Amino acid sequence: MEYIGEHLLPGKLGHFFTVLSFVISLLATVAYFFATQNRDNDSYEGWRNIGRTSFIIHAISVWSIIGIIFYIMINQYFEYQYAWAHVSEDLPMRYIFSAFWEGQEGSFLLWMFWHVFLGLVLMKTAKSWEAPVLSTLSLIQAVISTMILGLYFYTGDAEPFKLGSSPTLLLRDVMNVPIFNNADYVSLIKGTGLNPLLQNYWMTIHPPVLFLGFASGAIPFCYAVAGLWTGRHKAFIHAVTPWALFAGSILGTGILMGGAWAYEALTFGGYWAWDPVENSSLVPWIVLVAGIHTNLVARSTGYSIKSTYLFYLLTFLLLVYSTTLTRSGILGDTSVHAFTEMGLEAQLLFFISLFTALGFGLYIAKSKTVPVLKKEEGGASKEFWMFIGSLVLFFSALLITFTTSIPVFQKTAELFGKDLNITSPIDPIEHYNKYQMWIGMFIGILAGAAQFLRWREFNWKGNQSKFMKHMIGSLVVSALFSFLAAQWINVQAWQYKILLFTSIFAVISNLDYLIFYIKGNLKAAGSAISHIGFGLMIVGTLASGLNKKFISTNPFAQKGLIEGFSDEDYQKNVLLIKNRPMFMNGYEVTYVRDSFENVTRHFEVNYKKRNEKGDVEEEFNLYPNVLFNKQGTEIAAYNPSTKRYLHKDIFTHVSSLPRSDIDQKYRKEKEDSLKYNLKEMVIGGKSEDEEFIYELINVNRKPRHLDYKPEGDDLPIGVKVKVTSKDANKEWIAEPMLVLRGMMLFSYPVIINDLGLKVKVPEEIIDRVLTSDEKLNYQEFQLKEGDRFEYKGHQIHFMSFNREPKHESYEAKEGDLAVSAVLNVITPAKSAPDRAEPVFLIRGNQPFNLKDEIEEIGLHFRFANIDPTKGTVQLMVAKEVNDNQNIPVKFAKDVPQANFIVLQAIEFPGINFFWLGATMMMIGLLMAMFHRLKTKHASA
Amino acid sequence: MKKIHIIAILMIGLAIGLLTMAADDMGTYATFQEAMEIKGKVKINGQLSKDKDIEYEPEIDPNYFSFYLKDPAGEEKKVILLAAKPQDFERSESIVLTGQMKGDEFIASEMLMKCPSKYKDEEIQIKSVSTAQVN
Repeated sequence: MEYIGEHLLPGKLGHFFTVLSFVISLLATVAYFFATQNRDNDSYEGWRNIGRTSFIIHAISVWSIIGIIFYIMINQYFEYQYAWAHVSEDLPMRYIFSAFWEGQEGSFLLWMFWHVFLGLVLMKTAKSWEAPVLSTLSLIQAVISTMILGLYFYTGDAEPFKLGSSPTLLLRDVMNVPIFNNADYVSLIKGTGLNPLLQNYWMTIHPPVLFLGFASGAIPFCYAVAGLWTGRHKAFIHAVTPWALFAGSILGTGILMGGAWAYEALTFGGYWAWDPVENSSLVPWIVLVAGIHTNLVARSTGYSIKSTYLFYLLTFLLLVYSTTLTRSGILGDTSVHAFTEMGLEAQLLFFISLFTALGFGLYIAKSKTVPVLKKEEGGASKEFWMFIGSLVLFFSALLITFTTSIPVFQKTAELFGKDLNITSPIDPIEHYNKYQMWIGMFIGILAGAAQFLRWREFNWKGNQSKFMKHMIGSLVVSALFSFLAAQWINVQAWQYKILLFTSIFAVISNLDYLIFYIKGNLKAAGSAISHIGFGLMIVGTLASGLNKKFISTNPFAQKGLIEGFSDEDYQKNVLLIKNRPMFMNGYEVTYVRDSFENVTRHFEVNYKKRNEKGDVEEEFNLYPNVLFNKQGTEIAAYNPSTKRYLHKDIFTHVSSLPRSDIDQKYRKEKEDSLKYNLKEMVIGGKSEDEEFIYELINVNRKPRHLDYKPEGDDLPIGVKVKVTSKDANKEWIAEPMLVLRGMMLFSYPVIINDLGLKVKVPEEIIDRVLTSDEKLNYQEFQLKEGDRFEYKGHQIHFMSFNREPKHESYEAKEGDLAVSAVLNVITPAKSAPDRAEPVFLIRGNQPFNLKDEIEEIGLHFRFANIDPTKGTVQLMVAKEVNDNQNIPVKFAKDVPQANFIVLQAIEFPGINFFWLGATMMMIGLLMAMFHRLKTKHASA
Repeated sequence: MKKIHIIAILMIGLAIGLLTMAADDMGTYATFQEAMEIKGKVKINGQLSKDKDIEYEPEIDPNYFSFYLKDPAGEEKKVILLAAKPQDFERSESIVLTGQMKGDEFIASEMLMKCPSKYKDEEIQIKSVSTAQVN
């Protein structure tokens, strides 16, 4: 079948570059391999140059694929599956990056993009390390390239084996639906668009940082392979440090941004949930940090070279493991944010197996050549305790990995035909906290004490008393601060008390170290700042985690109904009726108003805190919103809003809306079950029943309604009704409306929630108020500019032409010839004259005319033609008066309440300690990196 | 023997101990029948019964959401989730619940829904013009 309107070239180019990027990265691997093997002879340069050229061509290929995908996405070529699945016509351009890496293919490309970038930096800076490091990196790139190759291998009758998932596949190759029988299908389909939950600026900034972290985590691995391969173990230890520090800082920042995203923009109610996907990216970071510590030991003392190798090798393998877990769909039952499976499991398994075999194979083969110091580390040496610290970190990683991998154990057993029937812990947060808490204590103590120790116990005898002085000082000050902090944070369990103390100790002793020991020397301050950050982070975690408080609990709800559940378990949400303040946990909370903006519904929620006298001490508004799908029929996302104080946050999100607001079918059913009473009233007239008095105030031809968006040819009619309740003797105003758009009628009713009364304009109103053109008896006039004439008692004056006419249903377009006749109408019974401006328009050689009418006196005008030779116009005039008619309005009683929100509000005390501390850790790592870069240059 | 070796051995011992302890925390999937016999919280993995009532009336209790779930053994029970009804609930295929039985009902404190991929089974949308609703 010949299809029309497809753009096939970008797809072909894209496929070409994917294949090229794969093949050429293999070539780069091989060329750099031989360059490394021949590093001491003349052929080195030749091989290296081939390697360089190949890698650059690889880089260009990767950029080209990315460029092509952006091209098809920006131009919305929905014939491509990737564009179809991730963009839509109404997707704002600012989300184009998010849409790009929403899919697995895009995120693989993002990862490759950063590898390429780092590879080029290495090519420029790595000198003698270039060949072996880039050889490994190119191999990694080759393997990732296969993930997007999209090649099919047919083996007999079986399903073809799919190698990779190509981002440039055509939709008709992926899907088999009847629409592809239409040659012009391209003009008929529209994109699915970016998942509304991901339409968020975090989705724009979090993935690139995280993937830069992933990519930079590969560099220490490449260096480790290079070091083992070439046997330059000591040089390796020096060359790798800045890269490891860089990776630690960026990967950490990426993970942290994920937490910030979850906390700020999602309704998880926290920044860390020990979710398997979160854990699996944290674990490589912890191992990397362990590696950084042994790396520093090895630099200064020559101990721990082997463990540095192992930690760096493991870091990358754990990153690949994390990728495998996240992308294989294996975590589907245990994680809230894993990708769905894509059939890449075998390739991912190959990825991890290949590099495990390569890394550890090389390590086993070469470990005998790694220098090991015979002399034992001294018990009071820095290297000894730093090594212990690294082991503790590794321990932490091991425990987290074990629990995170439970679904893997289950799956593996299943492959062998055994059902272990195991899954992640019932209460994962408690499980992880229980173990990690002890790790936190160890690290807190070591992070403080080890700072004051010296390499190789240098002058321990002389140093000992100084060390003790600093320790005792820090312990005393920390104890004091811990006591104070425990007053603020409600710490119950003794384990948490110890953790609080050790964390504060880490902060205080490192402050002491920073100020009194290294005397504010910022060059060496990186570690102190990171360790202070660690301590603060744990303090923040304790404060916000232990004292997290649901504000949104209903004090009247029954408590303790169910054994084994805390009150918190079933009292997280409250119902808040509009404008009816509710008291909860010290706050007076009011749902004030809501408004629509496209598909987003914004809410304003007011918080007041009063003192004993009843005066408002503190007041603020929060604006959570609810995002609907494109059709406006279902909720796509609830977005929170947070009030930030220095010492606490108050976090709020809507967790449900009235059913009639979110369920169209239900709304229809409810609507159908309503009983409407028809009231007919003249303007100014009244009608009443037992409960209410109704009064028709006016009929409005330019009405407004919250949900109504005017379109070109609309004929809207609205009424304004006053309803008085006989009981309460109070008045309400309602302004429902009806729109005639072409042959369709759209009704915009109004609900007076306080009365449970719904008011709508029935379609009968149209015949009463609107006069259809066919019924009108137009009379024709030939007029010149300035002419006057009389029509049914009205004096009409054709004053002038207006070449820039304004008309409700006219929007100027390029190429239009539009002119209006400005008419002045004098009616004897009226003091002021009226104006009318019918429009004559030529658009694309077609004449049109847009009528104007003066409702009050029932005159209708059409500017039907223009005769340029005579300079006359043809004007049509008709009169039809609709005065003092009965206007129909419908009322229904007992409409269900639909003016509330279900709200969740949580207070997080001290959460800023967490953010401050975590950020300081990353900054400390970066500072250390710059410090190492400088000393490296100085020594070179 | 070096200090480090002693510490390493201690740590390996500790690791084995802790991992054994950690393994005790491992959850297992129970059926409703098993959940009735076990005191305390369990996890249940099942299918939403789409033909039965799904009830959430925030006007009465915003923390009470109920539906029916069929466990792998085919037994169907009423589930009460003590939270607001999540969006997209009807679309979920399989559901993982954490909670415990109380009488003939399963009281859940956590729920994880597995929704079919947003794009997989969805039909290709055809361009259309009218979106406003007609009452």
